[in-house]
Parts: sequence; C-alpha cells; structure tokens
Amino acid sequence: MRLDTALWRALAVYRLATLLYAAGSMAVYTDRYARPALGWAVLAGMAVWTAAAAYLYSDRRRRRWPLLVVDLALTVGALLSSVAVMTSARIEAGDPTLTVSWAAAPVVAWAIWSGWVGGAVAAAVVGTGAILERGGASQATVNSLVLLLLVGTVVGYVVQLARRAERAYSEAVALQAATAERERLSRQVHDGVLQALALVSRRGDPELAAVAAEQEVALRRLVSAATRPLPVGEADLLALLPAGADLQVAAPASPVLLPSGVAAELAAAVGAAVDNARQHGGGAAWLLVEDDVDAVTVTVRDDGPGIPAGRLDQAERDGRLGVAQSIRGRMHDLGGTVCVESTPGQGTEVELRVCR
Amino acid sequence: MSAGDPEPLRVVLADDHPIWREAVERDLVAAGLSVVGTAGDGDKAVRVVTATTPDVLVCDLQMPGRSGVEVTRAVAGLTKVLVLSASGEQEDVLEAVKAGATGYLMKSASAEDLVAAVRRTAAGDAVFTPGLAGLVLGEYRRTASDDGAPKLTARETEVLRLVAKGLTARQAAERLTVSHRTVENHVQNTLSKLQLHNRAQLVRYAVEKGLAD
Repeated sequence: MRLDTALWRALAVYRLATLLYAAGSMAVYTDRYARPALGWAVLAGMAVWTAAAAYLYSDRRRRRWPLLVVDLALTVGALLSSVAVMTSARIEAGDPTLTVSWAAAPVVAWAIWSGWVGGAVAAAVVGTGAILERGGASQATVNSLVLLLLVGTVVGYVVQLARRAERAYSEAVALQAATAERERLSRQVHDGVLQALALVSRRGDPELAAVAAEQEVALRRLVSAATRPLPVGEADLLALLPAGADLQVAAPASPVLLPSGVAAELAAAVGAAVDNARQHGGGAAWLLVEDDVDAVTVTVRDDGPGIPAGRLDQAERDGRLGVAQSIRGRMHDLGGTVCVESTPGQGTEVELRVCR
Repeated sequence: MSAGDPEPLRVVLADDHPIWREAVERDLVAAGLSVVGTAGDGDKAVRVVTATTPDVLVCDLQMPGRSGVEVTRAVAGLTKVLVLSASGEQEDVLEAVKAGATGYLMKSASAEDLVAAVRRTAAGDAVFTPGLAGLVLGEYRRTASDDGAPKLTARETEVLRLVAKGLTARQAAERLTVSHRTVENHVQNTLSKLQLHNRAQLVRYAVEKGLAD
C-alpha cells in the first residue's frame, strides 16, 4: 500500500473511533447537556461528516484545499455548537466539549496534506475555536491548544520524512531495476553479438576479420564498463586504453583505478605510444598494464627492428620516435616517467609510469 | 602431426553455442584431432569428461548449469583444460586458471592458433598468451601483502613481464641468456604455485566448514 493511501485510511479510522467516543460520552453524561436533542442532532451531523470525509479523502483528486477548508469549518462549527448544547455551568467547569477528540481530525488531515505548517495552522484554528467556546483562555484550553499544535506539527513533520523516505526507496528500486536491465542487456550482447563477431573474425576474410575483432574488443570494453560501478572521481584505466585487432593487451583481472584526470592523461599518452608503435613497428603491438601499490606502469612494445643502443637519441632527433615529445610532455605533467628501451630484433618498448 | 597419426588426440568440447561448437569441432577434426564428445552445459561437460577421459577439454567460461570455472575445478584431475573466453571475463579466466586450467585463448583466435593450443595443452605445456601472463602477474601483485599467499621470485617476475609484453619463450630466453626450457619452467611454476595455493585454500575452507572427512 502506498504511504498516502495508508495515512488517509488511518485518519478515517481515527474519525470513526473518536465519533464513537463522543457518542458514548454523550450517552453517559446526558445530565450535562442543556439541550440533549440538539446534542444528538449535532452528533448525527458529525456521523454524516465522518462517513463523507472517509469517502471524499479516499481519492487523491478530491484531496484539495476546498475539501480541507470545509473539513476544518464543519469541525469548528460542531465544536462551537457545544455552547448551545451544554449548560454554561458545565462549560465553565471545564467539562469535555461535545466533539471531544473528534475535533483533532482536521488538524491531522492538514498535517498529512501539507506538512507541519498546515498542521500548525489547522491546530491554531481549532484551538482558537475551543477558546471561543469556553469564552476565554483557561489552563484547559491553552493545554488543548498546545496539544493540538504538537499533533499538527509532529504528524506533519513525520509525514514529510516518510514521504522523502518513500521517494528514496522507489528511486532505489528503479535504480536496481535499471541495473538489472543493463546486466541483462550486456549478457545478451555477450552471448549473441560477441560470439558472432568472434566467429566472423575467425572465419571471414582478413579485412572483415580485422573489423570484427576490433568491434568485438570495443564492445567487450563497453559491456564490462557498464556493469561495474566505479568510485566517484575515479576511472578504470583499462576502459580508456586503445583497442584493436593488432594490439594485444595484458592486464590484471580487476579494474585499475586512478583519479579520472590522471587516468585520462595516462591513457592519452599510451594512445600516442601505441600510434607510434603502429607507425614504426612491424604491424603488431603489445600493451602491458601493471597495477602496483605505489605506481601504475604501462608498457607498449612493437615488433619493429628495434633501435641499437646509443642510437635512441639519434632516432628521437630523426623523428622516428615522432610522438615521443607529446608522450614526455603528458607524463611530465602527471609527475610520471617515460623510459624508452630497445633490443635489436625484439622491437622497441616505451614504459610509462605514474606514481599513485 | 597429421590425420594419419595412429592415436589422434582426444578432445571434448564444451560450449553452449551450437554454431560455435560446430565450427570449432570442424577445425579440430580437419587438423586430425578426434572430438570424442561435446556438451552444451556445464553439468553435461562434467559427465562427458568423466565418461570419456579425453586428453583435453576445451571449455567455454559462461555456460548454463555449472560455469566453466566450476567444470574446470571438477575435472582438473581427469584431463587438461584449455579455456576459451569470449569477452571481458578476465576474473573468470583467472579463477579457471587457479582451478587448474593450463591454458586460455580468446575466442577470436585463429583456427591454427586453437589447434596449436590444444596440442600444447595435451603435451602438458601451459598455453601462456601475453593476456594470461598479465592476469597472473596482476594476481600475484594483488595478493602481494597477504600472508601465506605465494610470491614470485625476481626471475619469475622478469619472465612473466617479458611474456606479457608479447615476447616468445625463445626471445625471452635470448634476452635473459638462459635456455628456452628454463623460461618455460619458470612460467609453469608461476601457474603451479597459484593452483596449489588455490587448492590448499579450498581444502582449508572445506575443513573449516566441516565439509571434508
């Protein structure tokens, strides 16, 4: 059951219970009343309004200010009718009014409808009615005013809290449903599309195979990134690295977390190094990601002829490490290091290292 | 080796995608291997392997019923396991390797690579792709501060890093001026230590939970 439905239903029950109490006290203390017949007539009116209110408040489209104002006016009217019904001696003696606690119902209604402010306003109105009925403020009337104010504000405040909690709860449920849907989709992608792409890349002609393999890698990244929530402000370096059929990635099984900015810069530097390897290497490239306690290291290796020792500087000057400068610049900004190493016959390695 | 071998390697294939299974089966048969059984789910895979005790089980990771990791754990003593993975299942690949699989290949690998990997697995060699080396390195680093977790020697780390960077065993041997066989032994060791530790942990867990005799 929704919170609002439950609250309004509880109010209807309260109204009925207090009506029975009012009828009971009237039957027991008939001698207090100057005009019992009028008293029963007022009580009959209260009964009619109790039933009508239960019906009117049950639909949220009718729960608008006219209904609440009418509710409040009728209740205060019934309260004030005590003056005509009861003997003045009884009123002065501080005996309970005709309506007893039935009069608190609109205060609760206003509190449910518009929070603690509405509750307080309605309590002030009903409380003022009670003071008028007694012909002035006494300890008893001030007491009941304070109690009504308490009821109005506390119920209103608690209802506001409960509504907020209900909203948060339904948001959480929606989020959970969205996550489940995303997982279902990624499973679908995994089971169908990825398998088909893998098959194509195995069976198709080389060009088609290369495209399929590339798409497979990209899709795989997307799927694994979508199902894994990350800490705020951090990014998984693995999801940002370049991909391709000509690039073999060796990495840990779990995400490599870095502050988002650092991850993006490092990934860009790796991208430049991979471009370089593709341009000057023999066609294939390897990428090794190492996640240590104190640093993250990414090594890019190509299978080119390699550069003999001592000729690295020369190569850099000749522009054979064309993007080396942009790599160095980025890594310098991150406070990281770049190390280029080459073994003749075993390609060139560029090692990028960022301290945590 | 050719189709004329007196005793072709006996292979069981477990994958829940019929098209994929048929394609791989064709490739293996064309290369002269004998596919003695296939399974579309994990439970059947365990039954088929138990009944046929093949030389190699080629196993997908995600299957209905028991997963590839659970199947590997169940049959690791009966046969050698080569894991095929389709997508970002790196954690599962690592689990399968710890459970006893000795090789891992991406599903997009070529038919030749697959046949070569099956043969190597059957011969008892680890199929150590750069990807697997990266996973194993990562796992040792992750548990580096755990008491009782296995540790890599400096030489083993060096070898794993070279393999992860795509060097062949021969190239790595050349660089470290050791023999090709030494490099392969180091690689095998890093895997065995992980598997041994994993088994010991499972036994300890079973004893603690009162599952063992």
